[in-house]
Amino acid sequence: MNHLRIFLSSAVFSFRAQFDWLNPAMWLTMKLVLSLSQMAFFVFVGLFIQGPSAIPFIAIGNALQSVSWNTVFSVINITGHDKWDGTLPLVLATPAPRLPLFIGRAMIHVLDGLLSVAIAFFFAAFVFGVNFGQANALALTLTVVMTAFAMSGFGLLIGGFCFHFRNPMVFANIFTFVLLIFCGVNFPVKDLPSQIQFVSYAFPLTYGTAAARSAIAGASIFEISPVLGQQLVVGLVSIMLGYLFFQTFERSARKSGKMEAL
Amino acid sequence: MPKTMTVIYSAFRMAMLHWMADPQWIIPNIIAPFIFTSVALTLFKDATGPFGLYAILGGGMMGMWGNTIYASGFAIDFERWQGTLEEVMAAPSKLIHVITGRAVSNALFGLTNMVAVLLIAVLGFRISLGIADPILFTVSLAFTLLSVSALGLIFASSFVLSRSAQALTNGLETPLYIVSGSMFPIALLPFWMHPIAYVLGPTWGIDAIRLATSQDYASQTFWKGMNANMAIFLDLAVMLSITFAYVVIAVVLFRLVERQARIKGTLVQQ
Repeated sequence: MNHLRIFLSSAVFSFRAQFDWLNPAMWLTMKLVLSLSQMAFFVFVGLFIQGPSAIPFIAIGNALQSVSWNTVFSVINITGHDKWDGTLPLVLATPAPRLPLFIGRAMIHVLDGLLSVAIAFFFAAFVFGVNFGQANALALTLTVVMTAFAMSGFGLLIGGFCFHFRNPMVFANIFTFVLLIFCGVNFPVKDLPSQIQFVSYAFPLTYGTAAARSAIAGASIFEISPVLGQQLVVGLVSIMLGYLFFQTFERSARKSGKMEAL
Repeated sequence: MPKTMTVIYSAFRMAMLHWMADPQWIIPNIIAPFIFTSVALTLFKDATGPFGLYAILGGGMMGMWGNTIYASGFAIDFERWQGTLEEVMAAPSKLIHVITGRAVSNALFGLTNMVAVLLIAVLGFRISLGIADPILFTVSLAFTLLSVSALGLIFASSFVLSRSAQALTNGLETPLYIVSGSMFPIALLPFWMHPIAYVLGPTWGIDAIRLATSQDYASQTFWKGMNANMAIFLDLAVMLSITFAYVVIAVVLFRLVERQARIKGTLVQQ
């Protein structure tokens, strides 16, 4: 029960903390503008190079990638805010069990990410004319939920790693944007140089974009389950590795007395 | 040196020193343009035509844009965090001159992205990019840099009052890449967006830069079919007029905003 309480309070506080610097109206504006503008940019680039046939692939990829603004960028930045706002020593001083505390902080961002994807799919359908007529709604919903969860695991992994650095914002930027190259968002993974294609499969989003496109084309849950299974494994491994980084940092911080200024 | 220039130069120098002291901050500023360009180059991989020109010059341009918008939004917050904003405001030199120095240095730093983009294009994608007229290219680039800096001033003035400056910055970045047609012809945009594109100085700047780079490129503004040198001259003339208007607007906005901040006492509000 105690674990659940810590998990939930950690989730709520980490989300509310962002409104220390971002007001709700701005939060909503960003949610609408970011997903539309990024999708529009790549749709226009695709339109310029490959013509109208490129639009559905790019719009769907970017719609799903919008989840990473919440589950990767925001989750990594929790680490940074703990350092900047001086709350890190308090987090480390609390006797609360660490695993629910660590995982909980990402969880509301999963819900926020689902909202982002819903908005982005709306833009894909009504601004860029992507046809969802054949879509298997259940399979697509499951894909989006799984992707948000697995990507928050990836966010926790990088966030845990970032405890060891002074400025997590740099990593938040790199790892949010790099997904645009590796995860089949704007072009298929096979278009990458063969030597680096294996990197794509370390990111849960790669499985998500593939499953989402299949679900929109009408594939059933059963058909996309192998891909989602792999995504789940990558997501869970990411969480565990992130937790390991967090524990290593905590031990080292207690020994050296260095927390914010590394 | 006139006093105004001394202030601008000192602010420019301070900004440069800050970047050098903590160079990791260059990454958030240029990562988006860099990745966007890499994605575009991958999409361009099997295409023929002027796509490489668009990707490389557009990517470099976006780097300047990104760094200026980001850093202009951040300029006031930076002074707030350092605890120097009150001193800057209390000093007899004008805030707009301090921010001008910062904006120019930020645009200049954004050029590092152009170098990075060029390297990845040449080494990673084997794209060769010769410059047809290096002098006009340099002149166009320098004026575009000034225009981007002047637009940065307008952003900075509005960010004085807002504590959501960073969020606004993130939100503005990509729409500006789209509207200025940095990586595709603005003709692809819906017609209602064209007037917005034409009031952005960099729209004209990137056209001039592309014209100076390749003889095969046809102007995307109003000078289609015109002699390249004449089109560049007209592009730059329009851009400089727009830049002048930006500066006038920024001066007025800074006066208003400074006054408002002093009355409301919101200057260092977090």
